[in-house]
Amino acid sequence: MLNIGLKSSKAKIVGEVGEAKAGPTGHVYFTLKDEKDQSMMSCIIWKSRYQLYGVKLQEGMKIMASGYPEIYPPSGRLSFIAETIELAGEGELKKQYDELKKKLEKEGVFAEERKRPIPRYPQKIGVITSKQGAVIADFLNNIGKFGFKIKMIDSRVEGQEAVRDLLASIKTFRKTDIEVLVIIRGGGSLESLMPFNNELLVREVSGFPVPVIAGIGHDKDEPLVALAADASESTPTAVANLLNESWEQTLLLLERYERDIIGRYETIFDNYKEIENELRISLSNFKNALLNAKISLRDSLNKSFFGFGILLSKVNQKVVQAEKAIFLNNPERQLRLGYSIARCNGKIIRKTGDVKIGENMDVRVLDGVISSEVKNIKKQ
Amino acid sequence: MVKDKSDSKNLNSNLKKLSEITEWFDNQEEIDVEEGLKKVKEAVFLIKESKGRLKEIENEFEEIKKEIEPEEE
Repeated sequence: MLNIGLKSSKAKIVGEVGEAKAGPTGHVYFTLKDEKDQSMMSCIIWKSRYQLYGVKLQEGMKIMASGYPEIYPPSGRLSFIAETIELAGEGELKKQYDELKKKLEKEGVFAEERKRPIPRYPQKIGVITSKQGAVIADFLNNIGKFGFKIKMIDSRVEGQEAVRDLLASIKTFRKTDIEVLVIIRGGGSLESLMPFNNELLVREVSGFPVPVIAGIGHDKDEPLVALAADASESTPTAVANLLNESWEQTLLLLERYERDIIGRYETIFDNYKEIENELRISLSNFKNALLNAKISLRDSLNKSFFGFGILLSKVNQKVVQAEKAIFLNNPERQLRLGYSIARCNGKIIRKTGDVKIGENMDVRVLDGVISSEVKNIKKQ
Repeated sequence: MVKDKSDSKNLNSNLKKLSEITEWFDNQEEIDVEEGLKKVKEAVFLIKESKGRLKEIENEFEEIKKEIEPEEE
């Protein structure tokens, strides 16, 4: 009953570790000594918790323990049940950080060759972060509209309690269909980032089935989780940009292809226009050639008609001339006019010397022949 | 002398014959009235045929012109 009451008296105590011993069950019993008055407090941390926080209790170590007081009924002894323990003081933290880093480095946990490439065109993204604060807002504001399916698990990201949340979130995502896991939080001191230097968490990240991107702000000592992740960025915005990268590159490529295609089509259209113009010119030339041929045809036709007309007229003239000549030469016409033809011994008499007195001669007139005798010849 | 009709349709040969006839008259010293008369009759026939043929050719020519002219416009 008393213990129930005491459990609600949560407290954080800072002190120097005195004797520290692990019992047969694995629970660790230790004392914390107050720096000022050297007063002591017996403390217990259960095995499961002790293994979780990665702090190996040693005499003289300065730590901060969170928990509650409890009385052990058989002896009536009051102890402080530490739910979390963490190193207190920058020096201790740095020492623990360096030691763990060295150890994991040796194992090759941070080796570059272990890192997996972030898949191109990722869609199913798992995000572990605190839903409070600007981090998630920065991430969501900067993630592009590329059809991302984002599943988020809200987790504490500060203080040793965060370790449990982070481990539980990772466990959940192990069973979830995602292509990449994102762990993000804002920047902070080494102390505030200590959950991200937790060995269990580091190992979970390095053994996670899909690539992990860490976006954990830091000053100089990069959290070990970030070192173990497949990619690490210092801000949630940078993580969002990394996820956007392959999509944006492809988008740019598509835009370039689009421009190329349009350009090529334009060239084709230009060529068509050129061909069209050439065709138009050819047609126009052909039309002119036809017109010229027509003109030339008409010309030659006109010349033929004209020539033929002249020919006809010449023939006509010849016929008329022949008609006239025949008319004039027609002997009947001469006889009709009163001319006659006189012959002596069959020869035409043209002069007085062609006949002698007493000879017979025939005179041809229009309608017959008159036989006569030459009686007298008178020369003129 | 009446010539064969198909023969007399040929203008060229008609003109040639007419020319021969007129030449005959021009070269005749001893006029043979009978022969001259025959030549005249032949020439008259040839002239008549030639005129007829000319008319035919002219008409044909006009027809051809009519056929061609509408196409030309």
